[in-house]
Amino acid sequence: MLSSLAKLLKALNSETAPWQIALALCLALPVALTPFWGLHNLLILLVALLIRCNFSSFLVGLALFSLLAMVVDPLSVRLGESLLANPALIDTWTSLYQNDFWRLMGFNHTLTLGGFVIAMVAFAPLFVVLRVLINQYRHRVMVWVNKLKVVQVLKASKFYNLYQSLAG
Amino acid sequence: MLKWIRWSGLIGFVVVVALLAAFFVLAAGPLVKMAIESVGSKAAGARVDVDDVAFNLSPLGFELGRMTVANADKPMENLLEFQSAAATVDLAPLLLGKGIIRDLSVNGLQFNTTRTTSGALEKSSSTSKQSSAVADAAASVKDSVVGNLPSASEILARESLKTDAAGSALKETFDRRQQQVNDALAAVPDDARLAQYQVDVKAITSGKVASLEDFNERKKKLDALKEQFKADKKSINTAKDLIGDSRTEITERLKQLKAAPGEDLASIRDKYQLNATGAANLSSLLFGDEAGEWAQQALYWYEKVKPFLSSGGDEEQQAEYLRPEGRFVHFPTDDPWPEFLIRHTSMSAITSAGNLAITGTDLTSQQRVLGRPARIDIDGSELKTVKALAINITLDHTRSPSTDLVSLEASDWQLDGVNLGLGDTKLDSAMAQIQGMAQVQTDKTGDALTGRLEGQFGQTRFDGNGQTVFAKELLGALNSISSFTIDGRATGPLGSPKLEFGSDLDKQLNAAFKKRLSAKQDELEAKLQSQLNDKISQYAGAYADDLQALNNNDSKLTDKLAQLEDLAQAKLDDYVDQQKSKAKDELKSKATDKLKGLF
Repeated sequence: MLSSLAKLLKALNSETAPWQIALALCLALPVALTPFWGLHNLLILLVALLIRCNFSSFLVGLALFSLLAMVVDPLSVRLGESLLANPALIDTWTSLYQNDFWRLMGFNHTLTLGGFVIAMVAFAPLFVVLRVLINQYRHRVMVWVNKLKVVQVLKASKFYNLYQSLAG
Repeated sequence: MLKWIRWSGLIGFVVVVALLAAFFVLAAGPLVKMAIESVGSKAAGARVDVDDVAFNLSPLGFELGRMTVANADKPMENLLEFQSAAATVDLAPLLLGKGIIRDLSVNGLQFNTTRTTSGALEKSSSTSKQSSAVADAAASVKDSVVGNLPSASEILARESLKTDAAGSALKETFDRRQQQVNDALAAVPDDARLAQYQVDVKAITSGKVASLEDFNERKKKLDALKEQFKADKKSINTAKDLIGDSRTEITERLKQLKAAPGEDLASIRDKYQLNATGAANLSSLLFGDEAGEWAQQALYWYEKVKPFLSSGGDEEQQAEYLRPEGRFVHFPTDDPWPEFLIRHTSMSAITSAGNLAITGTDLTSQQRVLGRPARIDIDGSELKTVKALAINITLDHTRSPSTDLVSLEASDWQLDGVNLGLGDTKLDSAMAQIQGMAQVQTDKTGDALTGRLEGQFGQTRFDGNGQTVFAKELLGALNSISSFTIDGRATGPLGSPKLEFGSDLDKQLNAAFKKRLSAKQDELEAKLQSQLNDKISQYAGAYADDLQALNNNDSKLTDKLAQLEDLAQAKLDDYVDQQKSKAKDELKSKATDKLKGLF
């Protein structure tokens, strides 16, 4: 975890494109908000590996959003319940239920559906926000942060050595 | 566009997935073996062993080697075992952790086989020992009741007999009456005295009355005799009344004594249950133990299976295993995926009666997800003892209350050596046609059983080694029956249903028992009668002559009374007539003399 965090910092401070970091974090969101052991998460993992996003950011995002999931899960379940019980959508669900692929996706699980919908709704705004934030960080905060004494102290620490070795 | 693709990532993903798949393929067999043994042992309460489990990719499935399930109550015995089994599974549900077995075939299924090592998980309770001890005690009691019928002499010696009481009453009455009669007869004039009376009367009334004084003297004597006659008549009448009363009382006592043996016999008969009434419900007694054993076996398996049937309806409980919140919502489909399902299974079971073909469809613990009841069909044809056997079981837990139904049909079932459990008697052979149905409805209040079994038994032959009188008579009675029917009913809670068995065997056995027992009863009754008659003779024999003598005395007294009446009446009348006639003759003579004087 420490090395992943170091890699995330390295990525933030490197030439890695902001969208790569933002996309990795966004891809981590549905994985964290839904039950981990599901075929849908395997597909998301495939996407995270296949697309040139920052995988370290994906792992860190997974850890961070898992903490968020503890708060969001009840909301996800209620949302999933209401969606699956929505008369207007029953035909859709019934239709999907006839297909093995969708059942493997676990769409009929309340937490999976609710968490995934929240993640998808949040995906695009989060991606934009994260990308903006990363850019802002690099242009404004990173220079200012580097001047802070606490950062300088950190740079002299073991953590920074590790960071440096990874960066090197 | 391609610059966005990280090919190394794709390769890494494929490698990881391939490694996982390889691990699954290699570990699946041992994992399944471990799961079967672990879960199976918990469910059976005894060791479940599988020789080996192999995972196949095409068709996707498992092959199991020899598997044994030990009997928790008899650790050195297997509840069941099979030689091999093959299962093909659906891949898609398997990826979701759902075991959907498309087809399961089991070969060489056997029940109640012996083990070389104990299959106990832990020390079993002594329940079975206790139950066998109770059964032994019951058998002992049964033997003590049935097997030790006393002999006629023992019965007579043991029982308080009315014959004895009536005999004693007769003796007392006769002795008392005899004394009274003897006293009364002592006051009655005897023959010599009557003869003297005749002489006295003749002396008074015969001869010529010489004078008025003579007449008066004779009259005085006659009056004295009359008074004596009155006293004698009174004594005779008293004796007659006493004899009449004695005769009535003794006759009544005799009547009671004669009726007493019959009453004693009836009492003894009822007490020792020798008649057909005592055997009226014998058929339920005969088949109760056997039927109970079968029912226990069926209930054992049902209780084993039932928890798995009823646990699947509550999806909210299932969700707890996946995540604290969240659940699967199921929609109508032709292909539902419960957590575990055997779509179709076929088994060949080897039993002592022959091979049975067992097929099962839709066997799952989540029937509400599947939407269809489980069905098990057991078919046997050309078995050793049954021409055709069909058992159909439907376990419907798709809704509440759940309904489990089993139907049984056996045609030309050659029964052989069925222990009747009474008097060492067994049904040596019979051809049976059996139809049965049982239904269990389960709701929140519990299980409700409704069952019915009908059997027609023909060509029956009974045998037995019983040495007791009862066993021999039972066998004799049974052997006169060539066919019978049995009708069994079970209603009430599954754990303690009310069992009722009806049969025309009751009537037939009743009639046969009557016929068989009548001879034995006649024999015993003859002995009893003989011995009771001896008692009657002992009490009444000596008094019969005395009673006759009383009757004779009564007759004699009547004669004497008539004689006295005659003496008192007829002789005095003759005297008056004589005096009148004499006076008449004298007057006539005087008149004739006067007339002669005139002419």
